[in-house]
Amino acid sequence: MNKNSLLSSFSRNIILQLVKSEFKLRYQNSYLGYLWTLFKPLMLFGVIYLVFSNFLKSAIPNFPLYLLIGVIIWNYFQEATLIGLDSLISKRDLITKIDFPRATIIIASVLGSSLTFLLNLIIVFIFLILSNISLGLETLYLFWIIILLYFFITGIIFLLTRLYLRFFDLKHIWEVLLQMIFWLTPIVYDLSIVPENLQKFLQLNPLAHFINAVRMLFLSRQIPSLQGNLLLLFFATASFTIGYFVFQRQERFIAEKL
Amino acid sequence: MKNNIIHLENVSKSFILPHLKRTTLKEHFLSFWRKTKPDYLKVLDHISLTIPRGEFLGVMGKNGSGKSTLLRLLSNIYTPETGTIKIEGKVAPFLELGIGFQPELSARENVFINGALLGLTPKMIQNKFDHIIDFAEIRPFLDLKIKNFSSGMRSRLAFAIATQADADIYLCDEVLAVGDLAFQQKCLKIFQQWKQAQKTIIFVSHNPSLIEDFCDRALILADGKVKSIGAPSLITKLYSQTDQST
Repeated sequence: MNKNSLLSSFSRNIILQLVKSEFKLRYQNSYLGYLWTLFKPLMLFGVIYLVFSNFLKSAIPNFPLYLLIGVIIWNYFQEATLIGLDSLISKRDLITKIDFPRATIIIASVLGSSLTFLLNLIIVFIFLILSNISLGLETLYLFWIIILLYFFITGIIFLLTRLYLRFFDLKHIWEVLLQMIFWLTPIVYDLSIVPENLQKFLQLNPLAHFINAVRMLFLSRQIPSLQGNLLLLFFATASFTIGYFVFQRQERFIAEKL
Repeated sequence: MKNNIIHLENVSKSFILPHLKRTTLKEHFLSFWRKTKPDYLKVLDHISLTIPRGEFLGVMGKNGSGKSTLLRLLSNIYTPETGTIKIEGKVAPFLELGIGFQPELSARENVFINGALLGLTPKMIQNKFDHIIDFAEIRPFLDLKIKNFSSGMRSRLAFAIATQADADIYLCDEVLAVGDLAFQQKCLKIFQQWKQAQKTIIFVSHNPSLIEDFCDRALILADGKVKSIGAPSLITKLYSQTDQST
């Protein structure tokens, strides 16, 4: 197999070591370590809940849980893209010294964020228990959705990185865009409360579908329909293949652009 | 031809001069209106070079003459602008001061990351771990963060790891400059071993006696071209002459 293929054992070993170090780097320098990453989405959840619960509690059943799921997935998307965007620059020392597949850095960076996300999901389960919602075997479906979400996000970062290497402003632009995307995604509100023509527009947002799938799973014990499944699969594969293709064409020039 | 392990033909490389590089959106918009032609710095200018298998080649040249760029091209970190590079064998990473370490991680963790980047499996690294640590003489500092290492310790560790990669071609840039005498002796011993094992080595140095002691052939890089190439004793003499004349 080609040494530079992402599936080669060479790449796999690199990804494994990078994920390990990623996790250590994120948490070793703070006293509370991982608790901080738990704290961030919880704070966001708390604030939004305080402000919006009066308007939306009656419209959306199980509003706290509904909101929490949205916030935690959103937090994953936001952290993964921001950290992923910086990952090449933070590994610059390695890139300018050793020839290895650069994509492994981004894959490992998003895997690191995914670990945090998985740990954050524990709060969702605590909320589920507190709300006396029972879960069945369909919960296992969550893993499938998470894997698709991982590929979707990684593809986005591949694309963003390609642009980032050209315009270093992209980081700031992306931070602004993230704020817009936050409100354009049904995290705080439900799609059913927006006007119908706007609904169609908001449904173009893949993130809305991922969040919705997880909510359906926990709150209505429903796995996505075949159509819904194919849509998620489409978002994941389209994002990853296009992103990786674009990134790979630039891969050889990364060392000199950093 | 068969015995040539490295074959460079017409290889050029230039870089956009940093002050004219447009990296922010604002600069892109501004320069859209006034079309400036960016300045390029030609670091290597149509270099052709063949290196036979098992040769110990010395590379001399002033700072900024393109030595590091040449080694980076050979290790596939940079892509040549023109020309072709053919390499028939595995290249060990290019060694220079402070090889790619993650400063915030401990020496132990960095050994594993670097090992993986060199193509070693975790098991292989585990087996070679003690050897690496002893060679670099950093056993008491295993769990210290790399950022707290002295530059000497850092390059000793880098050298110790890189020697574990089983390659056909080794690229070294002044690795000896930082170690103390005892460590330099160790490095020289490794060079001897490589030589005996018929490895190909490209060695960048400003030290004439090292070039004369080890190299089979040497070259001088100047203004992006191979200015002269030949027997080490001849080249070192030429090099010291041009050095004095400027």
